Amino acid sequence: METTTAPTGSGPLPVLRFLGLVLLGAVIGSVAALFAAGFVRGVLWLNEVLLISPRSRMMFAWPEWLALTTVAVPTLGGLIVGRLHRSLPERRPHTPADAIAAVQSRRGRLPARVGAVSALTAMISLGAGASVGQYGPLVHMGATLGSFGARLLRLGRSDDNITIACGVAAAIATAFNAPLAGIVFAHEVVLRHYALRAFAPIAAAALVGHVIATQALAQGALFHVAETAVPRAWEFALFVAIGGLGALLAGGYMHAILGVGRLARRLPLRPDLHPALAGALLGMVALWVPDILGMGQETLRFATIAGAFGSGELLLVLGLKVAATALCLGMGFSGGVFSPALVIGTLFGALCGTLVASLTGVSQESFVFYAVCGMVAVTAPVIGAPLTSLLIVFELTGNYALTTAALASVTLASPIAAQLFGRSLFDIQLRDRGLDLSSGRGQALLMDTRVIDYLTRECVTLSPDASLDEAIATLARERHAEAYLVDTQERFHGCVTLAELEAARQEAGPLRRARECIDAERPTLRSDTTLWAAMALLEEVTGEALAVVDEGIFRGVVYEVHIAHAYLHQSDALRREEHGHG
Amino acid sequence: MGSRRLAALLLLLAWIPGALAEPLRVLSWGGAYERAQQEALFTPFSESNGTPVEVQRYAGGLAELRQAVEAREVPWDVIDMTRSQAMAACDEGLLQPLSPDLAAPAPDGTPAERDFMPGAIGDCALTHTLFATVVAYRSDAFPGRRPTRIADLFDQRRFPGPRALQRTPAVNLEWALLATGVPHEELYRLLSTPRGLGLALERLDALEEIHWWEDGETPVRLLTEGEVVMASGYNGRFFDAMISRGAPIEILWDGQVQEHETWVIPRHADNPDTAREFIRFATSTERLVALARRIPYGPARASAAVRVGSHPQSGVDMRLHIPTHPLNAERAITKDETWYARTLTRMDDYFAEWLSARQARTGEASAPPAAADDQPVAP
Repeated sequence: METTTAPTGSGPLPVLRFLGLVLLGAVIGSVAALFAAGFVRGVLWLNEVLLISPRSRMMFAWPEWLALTTVAVPTLGGLIVGRLHRSLPERRPHTPADAIAAVQSRRGRLPARVGAVSALTAMISLGAGASVGQYGPLVHMGATLGSFGARLLRLGRSDDNITIACGVAAAIATAFNAPLAGIVFAHEVVLRHYALRAFAPIAAAALVGHVIATQALAQGALFHVAETAVPRAWEFALFVAIGGLGALLAGGYMHAILGVGRLARRLPLRPDLHPALAGALLGMVALWVPDILGMGQETLRFATIAGAFGSGELLLVLGLKVAATALCLGMGFSGGVFSPALVIGTLFGALCGTLVASLTGVSQESFVFYAVCGMVAVTAPVIGAPLTSLLIVFELTGNYALTTAALASVTLASPIAAQLFGRSLFDIQLRDRGLDLSSGRGQALLMDTRVIDYLTRECVTLSPDASLDEAIATLARERHAEAYLVDTQERFHGCVTLAELEAARQEAGPLRRARECIDAERPTLRSDTTLWAAMALLEEVTGEALAVVDEGIFRGVVYEVHIAHAYLHQSDALRREEHGHG
Repeated sequence: MGSRRLAALLLLLAWIPGALAEPLRVLSWGGAYERAQQEALFTPFSESNGTPVEVQRYAGGLAELRQAVEAREVPWDVIDMTRSQAMAACDEGLLQPLSPDLAAPAPDGTPAERDFMPGAIGDCALTHTLFATVVAYRSDAFPGRRPTRIADLFDQRRFPGPRALQRTPAVNLEWALLATGVPHEELYRLLSTPRGLGLALERLDALEEIHWWEDGETPVRLLTEGEVVMASGYNGRFFDAMISRGAPIEILWDGQVQEHETWVIPRHADNPDTAREFIRFATSTERLVALARRIPYGPARASAAVRVGSHPQSGVDMRLHIPTHPLNAERAITKDETWYARTLTRMDDYFAEWLSARQARTGEASAPPAAADDQPVAP
């Protein structure tokens, strides 16, 4: 087991060390921000060159060729992405879920090569117009850079977690030009605890990212909202309702992505060709509804304008965007889930706004409120970050009325989705991979540790046919109270205690065999049993140790005191990480 | 001793021809604009270094320049040119490249590249002033209220009455889309989508009774005669009608579309050194201020924009009338010239198709066209 090296207590050394960590946060923030700015620019450039952005399509000199490029570009992009993903160990790009897993399981150490390939394929996917998001790749890229920094300086796991969060915060701060949202996202989604020791470096990273964003990335914000009317009081009730419905849409969206992923595994086609197939389908549908291509920033903008879409059109684009995103992500394009969720949510909000206007006949002055409420209602459950979503709205619009409306919507959206589907898409994905974060990090850590780490063969083993006298003598000689019955083929027969053996000898005489005294209540472990499961067994068992048995074969034992020690050790490391302040 | 006297003689010989002969030949737009330039730029330049300035007139266009450069007989040293034409001429190799530090720093020492507005310092052209296409309205048409936003051009409920608009997609589409609530930054990106284009044309179509103009003087006439209550047009012409003729009109600066007016040096010009000297002189903060006091075109540098004073004859405070004044420029549209260069024919087609459908429906006719003249010449 790895132990934390962070010094505790007071004195000049810990303070210096802490200041060094803050400085490191700022450095990681600046590197991550530059990479993020480069990534965003690269995607914009690819979109121009590859005729994905509407501006380049309009300016293209030979419009008759556009139909061909619309299908060919995503297909070829998919081909390249699929080919590159073959070089990855798990044959899939890494996403923010991997960064969350690294932090929550305290493994840290995000692999640099996989991170680089994932970022590259995400840039190609986005550049070629796949319906995926750019913020997920940016978050993972920032996390990988942070982890890389920690590894270069040979820092411990707790500091590795902090530098990962620094990279994430800087990436968000740069991409949205929203430093507060960056800081909160790193805490809310990645760290999932609040320690001053982590806060200061993360804040430094987000701040540097923000400064670089305003200097290097003069590109405008995600959306601008001019001054708006103030919504009527009764509309807040509608915003809450939009939140509830949005949560259901978010669940549908997440399950569509996961469902296509499961279907794709059964597809009779080589996995590296899946993205190309998705690209071809996407391109063909885009000939008919071009709004589904790419990140969809233009669609997002139009959805905030009353009357830009009819309600039938809103429903159509909404459905197709969900389908296109599920197709692209499920079939192996690399990219995030946030930008499409923004578009889907905004379309949904616009649909609600249009319906309300047509049912009640009120003016559409507060239309943008509906759009933003829908947006927050879908995005917050998908990324599991209600506070971040609110702050993004606040920092991008600077509009307090809009933020309170978003708050009304997220009030219901996040808890409903968490109850029905899980805390976020990342958590659902991790649960499918065997890391359940639903009961917090303490449990996740115990569930991620195997008892095999504490296995020992230093115990008394006896033949099942040993006599009681022999068994008692051996135990007394070894100063143990329990013995494990293992035959010559290493098969496990059970556990006997000194007390039971002695009682049997008293009652029935020494001729009995040890196997007749087996403690039937005593459970056994398997080598893949988690520490969490072992702890649960300990609640019912008193004894020295539990045997580890795989398919009848005895591997050794794990002493209960070791399990308890491991538990205390994990708790202590967590406590120090989550409550340390210097 | 002898050698020093010889050197002095040689120096004198080298100086005399420059001082006496070789006038600087400038090509500009004529009219009130040229009169203002004469007072603010040409005369002071001659006085300062003794070089006479000879002015010729043109109405824009690159055809003559193309011929002259091909024949290597270029009869001008400096040309006053719109930036979009200067960009095209530069691409064709008709102009000499200009050094980025040609322009003088501001009086307070601010370097030129920070003092000039973004995009003013080009490869071959240096922007000196900006003119604007704006909306003007009759100040007596809407008692108790006045238009403040470009969206008001499309709001015939609050601002009833006929409009006069230029018979081109440019400017009209931008204004129509802005009126739906899209931000300035995303204007051309959104106008590139079929949805954005459709929204803009829909917004235009909702207007009742549009008089379509082609000649820059027409909107001024329609507005002063009261045939329309709001009209688009060039800010210099509206200013002239307001100040010289006392017409009851006012300018709505929101959504103004600015265009750059630049100085360029043609390839094979005879006096490129004098030309560069002139451009440096004419784009100095002091000279730009002097020009802007005589004609309401905005100086391209911040230090000049804040120093503009009153009109020498009428005493009108010119700051309120120049497009680049911070108050007026707050919500100006920067025309995406690259976008227009590539999409103009397609936009013209869309627009013509829409317009003929509209005219077939409403029976609206264009305002009587005069000679094609879309240049920023003040009358």
